[in-house]
Amino acid sequence: MESMIADMAGRVFSDHVTHATRSKMAQGEWPTTLWAEIEQSGLPLALVSESAGGFGVAADDALGIMRIAGAHGVPVPLGETMLANWLLAQAGLPLVAGPHSVTDGSGLTLIAKGDGWSVSGQLDAVPWGRNVARIVTMVTHQGANMVVTLPAEGLEFQTAYNMAGEPRDGAQVALSLQADQVAQVDLPSDTLVLMGALMRSLSMAGALETVMTLCVGYAGERVQFGRPISKFQAIQHYIASMAGEVAASRSAADMVAAAFDGPAGHGPVPHLVAAAKLRTGEASQNVAALAHQIHGAIGFTEEHSLHHFTKRLWAWRDEFGTERDWAQTLGKAALAGSSDSFWEFVTGTAPKGVAS
Amino acid sequence: MTLIDFAAPSIGSDFDTLRQEVRDFLAQELGDYPPELRARSWNGFDADFSRKIGDRGWVGMTLPTAYGGHGRSPLERYVVMEEMLAAGAPVAAHWIADRQSAPLILAKGTEAQKREILPRIAAGTCCFCIGMSEPDSGSDLAATRTTATPEGSGYRVNGTKLWTTFAHKADYMILFCRTGKSEERHGGMSQFLVDLKQIKGITIRPVIDMAGEHHFNEVIFDDVLLSGDALIGALGGGWDQVMSELAFERSGPERFLSSFALIEQLVAQVRHDPTEQQEIEIGRLAAHLMVLRQMSRSVAGMLDRGQNPLLQATIVKDLGAIYEQDVPRLARSLLSRPSQSASADSYTAVLAYTVLNVPSFSLRGGTREILRGIIARGLGLR
Repeated sequence: MESMIADMAGRVFSDHVTHATRSKMAQGEWPTTLWAEIEQSGLPLALVSESAGGFGVAADDALGIMRIAGAHGVPVPLGETMLANWLLAQAGLPLVAGPHSVTDGSGLTLIAKGDGWSVSGQLDAVPWGRNVARIVTMVTHQGANMVVTLPAEGLEFQTAYNMAGEPRDGAQVALSLQADQVAQVDLPSDTLVLMGALMRSLSMAGALETVMTLCVGYAGERVQFGRPISKFQAIQHYIASMAGEVAASRSAADMVAAAFDGPAGHGPVPHLVAAAKLRTGEASQNVAALAHQIHGAIGFTEEHSLHHFTKRLWAWRDEFGTERDWAQTLGKAALAGSSDSFWEFVTGTAPKGVAS
Repeated sequence: MTLIDFAAPSIGSDFDTLRQEVRDFLAQELGDYPPELRARSWNGFDADFSRKIGDRGWVGMTLPTAYGGHGRSPLERYVVMEEMLAAGAPVAAHWIADRQSAPLILAKGTEAQKREILPRIAAGTCCFCIGMSEPDSGSDLAATRTTATPEGSGYRVNGTKLWTTFAHKADYMILFCRTGKSEERHGGMSQFLVDLKQIKGITIRPVIDMAGEHHFNEVIFDDVLLSGDALIGALGGGWDQVMSELAFERSGPERFLSSFALIEQLVAQVRHDPTEQQEIEIGRLAAHLMVLRQMSRSVAGMLDRGQNPLLQATIVKDLGAIYEQDVPRLARSLLSRPSQSASADSYTAVLAYTVLNVPSFSLRGGTREILRGIIARGLGLR
């Protein structure tokens, strides 16, 4: 059973996200009404505590919104905004309305300057950079991990896109920041990249479910040789194989979401994020290939909605670490030290479960 | 239904204390048990070992205490099972009884059957085999030809069962056979509890597998007389009963840990100074295993709540077989033939054993094709 917040998110997306919304966005048109509805619903604050303006729902429920947004191909940075608000709240920085982005800040340098700060360097592939109010990132300053808020109006963007037409802009940064735009946070320095990978894992899990639904629907409707192609065993086995990949992705997403606010600590759990990003990325490869095979030529057209989802899968698996990157991270951890067996490593990573 | 739900395992389902107890026990019992034998996974047969873990209360864990069980949850049982498998413990003597015969008898058996059999299963001293496949009925279970014809107060059984794992060691068989003519393909089937040690007219012949091992058998019933109280469940209800067993048979960690001994050997070989490729592939093995465990524990949670997650179990088995069958290929891609040493010899022996056994992983317990057909049906495609 889906939670109330999941129902609400699903309703907002169903009402305001269509094939046309996604296509227009891919041509550079920001969906103003959609964002206004999302802001109105309060979803951008779902991951923050009630005292910071959230609903007080469990973290795994809140993170589920990112999966549902992925399932609808929601063409705005909702996940990014949720994470930006979470990170700002963790650092005790003020939250403001409007779309936000989160991006890797390892290319930035932070210098204390009087009461404020000076920040400079290069940002690459900032999700929705040109469309957001603020970009939230993390920068290390004298051994401390700082959350840094960059007002987007002060930046000149080099516009770029991912494969799905989502803005991924570059920016040269040279800004003076106020004291209330930077704060130290008690989170590890890789938190931002982990959050990004977690977000894309959840989004991929959602998009994969939609691709599967499209395939089951199409195979049942498309008639060739006098019967729906779903009656052919070859197609049935493609879809069954796809069902396994989709279920594994969903489980991986649930696993990482369940652990977010768990006994293991606060925020993304590195080994679980690595496993989830890798598994959903691999599933994206397998499922997208099968989906296009099942859909035939029509699935290869602009007119059909399949590409909105397969392109997102191909783009998202590359963002915030590829399967190869996360596999190596996990492999290094599994092989490190000599006392623990591989089995102890694997069982030691499991989340402690969610309240049922 | 388009999407297949795997509810996350519930809180507290990791049972750290129990897990540590099992690990300590296994470290003590299997201290110098060689890797080549650990590689047999759940095909390793050792009646003494099964009795010992029965003594520890780790067989029949989910059975009610009234029947000698321990009233524990499927999730606790899951922890014990996966620790046994990961260690390569020889669990075959109680595996089938614990996994599917006991739940069947508990659900469908008569009070007398429950009182007679379940305490012995929980003690780890009662070995079961499953008489399902036949020479002309493999994947097509409905083609079963073995018959049990009512005679007096009992039944007369004729026919041949094939691929019956450990029939030559088992105390009992759960026999699936035809008891009536039916217009329906799935009708007229029943299940019987057959005492292999007592009943006359049963011939058990070995079928040696291509690795040279004996676990399969051909079991011939020649005018075998069963008493009426051997029937399990409803006369003619066998098909549905068998289908409800499958969630127990298909979702467990044995469906993705069969090659685990090779993974441990591989890790031991590369751990000292891994190449980048070795790190990547070991990480990939870990990630897939983490997700498979999550899914399998999810199914255990559904069983705990009294649901019948047949479709989810089928998916776990299909994905699990892909995982465990890929391990030898992966090991060979990461390591050339290691130079001679005791540890390299163990690696080589475990690799050879695993190569010879992986073909069975997508055949036993339902072939890959049958599983995908079930999933497709669950999705409304057939």
